[in-house]
Amino acid sequence: MTTARGWVAFVLLAPGLTVLTLFLLVPLGLIVVISVFTYSPTQIWLPPVTTANYVKFFDPYYLGVTWTTVRIGLVTTLVCAVLGYPLAYFLARLRSRWLGLCLFLLITPLMVSSVIRIFGWLVILGRQGLVNAALGAVGFARVDLLYNEPAVVVGLTELLLPFMVLPLMTAIETIPRSVEEAARNLGAGSFALFQRVLLPLSLPGLVSGALLVYSVSISALVTPALMGGRKTRMLGNLVYDEVLTSMNWPFASAIAVVLLIVTGAVMATYLRTMRVLARRVGRP
Amino acid sequence: MTRVSLLTVVVLIYLFLLAPLIIVVAVSFDPTDAFRFPPSGVSLRWYAAFFASETFLRAFFRVSLVVAVVVSAMATAVGGLAAIGLVRFLTRGRTLVETFFLAPIVVPEILLGAALFLYYSRIKMTTSLAGLVLGHLLLAIPYVVRTVAAGLAGIDPSLEEAALSLGASRPQAFWKVTVPMIRSSVLSGAIFAFIVSFSDINIALFVSGPDTVTLPVHVFSQIIWQADPTIAAASTLQIVLIAALLAVAQRTFRLRVTV
Repeated sequence: MTTARGWVAFVLLAPGLTVLTLFLLVPLGLIVVISVFTYSPTQIWLPPVTTANYVKFFDPYYLGVTWTTVRIGLVTTLVCAVLGYPLAYFLARLRSRWLGLCLFLLITPLMVSSVIRIFGWLVILGRQGLVNAALGAVGFARVDLLYNEPAVVVGLTELLLPFMVLPLMTAIETIPRSVEEAARNLGAGSFALFQRVLLPLSLPGLVSGALLVYSVSISALVTPALMGGRKTRMLGNLVYDEVLTSMNWPFASAIAVVLLIVTGAVMATYLRTMRVLARRVGRP
Repeated sequence: MTRVSLLTVVVLIYLFLLAPLIIVVAVSFDPTDAFRFPPSGVSLRWYAAFFASETFLRAFFRVSLVVAVVVSAMATAVGGLAAIGLVRFLTRGRTLVETFFLAPIVVPEILLGAALFLYYSRIKMTTSLAGLVLGHLLLAIPYVVRTVAAGLAGIDPSLEEAALSLGASRPQAFWKVTVPMIRSSVLSGAIFAFIVSFSDINIALFVSGPDTVTLPVHVFSQIIWQADPTIAAASTLQIVLIAALLAVAQRTFRLRVTV
């Protein structure tokens, strides 16, 4: 019985395991291998094994890009947490037919292509855009809102906010209303209620959301490419340029491996916190 | 925080979240090319431009739509079988296998794209539709596995046992009792697989070639080279298609389990 079961499981899982092995594991293994090969301008890569691609990464320019990437990731995560918490709380406590609509309005932007949403931001923040038109109407001079770091943070925050709200909402739902009422009856104000009751109890959700937002934002490519201009460049832009423009595949692979290790560690922690959260909610 | 001030904050956050979509839709109906909001009138000029543009039509209907339909079908088959194997048949190492099936979500999309680009050029499979399909399949499989697994986990096993005791064989009981009950989660998984492929830019940016430019990639290069509201018209069509599919998914299944 057990072996028959095992065979059925194997047959059912085999197509998926094959696809994931051939097109996920092998390609990722390939970039790890390429990252220790020597760059050649004519043949792209040559066999001698070297650490030069990783050493090159410690050049001040690339370290600067890394720092920009980490900074944008951290600020985006923080802004998402601040904006996401009230929304998650609202949705977690909403018990009416509006909940379906509110979730639909949260998830629809998430599923629309990021390039379209960034295009929307270019129209809103551009020199002739909505914000500048409003400033002009009240007599202010036009300002450059695009092609800088805050613009990238605005774009990423809007793209990734739902990723913060969904796990946070799940965590807040597990806090019984009676706990809130008890705190209120004992004299807690709104801030004390948040700081001493809601925040500690919803921490797994907040941590999950933060890890997810951080890991997606430090691997951003299209947002900095379209909203960051020449100065605000992130690691994703470097990978793209080195792969498709400079054709320095060993160096591109080295950057990719570094990014993969960092995001992999962040996401592994994310999966663990989500499992803790799922156990608490009692959902599979 | 009082109820009213919380509601105000929530409305403002929703406005922020939806602002780019609202603007894109509004601009697509503007008769001028000034990207003005509110629009100075209502016209279908940019939709006419979209339907007259060979490259836009090709990107929308002959690349993105075709790839998304194929990905949706393949991901539903592969992911659906895997979910049944995971939930119903796998006894040992379930967490490990499940983690492997969710792994594509853990890897940043641009790294998947870059790795696939290098891999395809190594195995001489460059810039084909198949390359795009396989890349998107990686993104779509975890969605299907998760929805179908959640659907299966929600079913009481005693229902199948009841069918068995009434004389059905095991495959019959599965096919006639369980399958109809997970139909909605399978449909929902298929819809998400379609959308994930249809919206993707990070993988397509690396693996689509001159003949296989997807709609998001075409929009990306149009933004860089010549931005005119045809982009907004094409984008609006994409938004409408995705919103309609999500509405269907929401009617049949809980959206939150999937995302």
